[in-house]
Amino acid sequence: MKQLALALAVVFLIIAVLYWTGHFYPSGVHTKHGIVSVVLALLCLVWYRFQSASPAR
Amino acid sequence: MLLAVLQGVSELFPVSSLGHTVLIPALLRWNVDEGSDSFLAFVVVLHLGTALALVVFYWRDWTAIVRAFVASIVRGRMSGERDERTAWLLVAGTIPVGVLGVLLESSVKKLFASPLPVSAFLFLNGFVMLLGEWLRRRQHATASGAAHPYKRLEELRPQDGVLVGFAQALALLPGISRSGSAIVAGLLRDLRHEDAARYSFLLATPVILAASVLEFPKLFAPDAHVVLVQAVVGGVVAGVTAYASVAFLTRYFRHNDLSPFAWYCIAAGGISFVLFVTKAVS
Repeated sequence: MKQLALALAVVFLIIAVLYWTGHFYPSGVHTKHGIVSVVLALLCLVWYRFQSASPAR
Repeated sequence: MLLAVLQGVSELFPVSSLGHTVLIPALLRWNVDEGSDSFLAFVVVLHLGTALALVVFYWRDWTAIVRAFVASIVRGRMSGERDERTAWLLVAGTIPVGVLGVLLESSVKKLFASPLPVSAFLFLNGFVMLLGEWLRRRQHATASGAAHPYKRLEELRPQDGVLVGFAQALALLPGISRSGSAIVAGLLRDLRHEDAARYSFLLATPVILAASVLEFPKLFAPDAHVVLVQAVVGGVVAGVTAYASVAFLTRYFRHNDLSPFAWYCIAAGGISFVLFVTKAVS
């Protein structure tokens, strides 16, 4: 699960960059789509963090 | 000013603000160019005023929720504490509406943001609220007569939060109320009206705030400065009205249900639909 969380975070970050550079849609730059992708990437990193932390005693 | 009052009230009452923004100018034959830079800037400030009113009203809750949220991330695990659970339920409920909103909002608006479909959706909104109340009554009246237990907000599971988030995303359809659909979904997940409304208003805060911040550049459009003073006054009026609305609704839902709002939507949607179909108003 840790790897999946990290992989998804990277994928969302790449998608964000593609949105911002206008490569995802031929119709142009989509700032809001990029922001949402970054937020999703951050949530995946939080998920990664939850998987990595030592369990409660 | 009327638009500002309308926004402040209808954004939080379960009667669809977007629906009213489309229907009322059409019914009253106001000459409003809803695509103009100045109008869009005006709407952004009204939303900002509403979001700030929600932040102020729930200031203590938000402080505790944000603190618990950050603490859980730093700790790297959940403690099960009340504010922390609420924080993650808010995250779970915001993801569907955030993603679907960004992906679908403009195409949905293009398809449906005209008076006739909005009237139909407003009617449907009322019907869904009545249906929700009926299903909940059925759910809580077991054959043995023993009352089905209600949950507190923090007792919801994350998947319940996601469900409420998807219900909230139905409000992308102009005429469907965000707070109405979120409250109905909350009720069907065994929340009391009071808790379902609180969850709906807490969920509305990041959504409205993010939507207005993302639209902020519209304030700097070439024609926007023409309405800047009106927009600021409108934003304050919308904020004050929204604060009064949320204060009223949180008290109202302690002992009352969605029925009056549902009947209002059915009547307003039905009458508007007939007027637009018969071309009595065009």
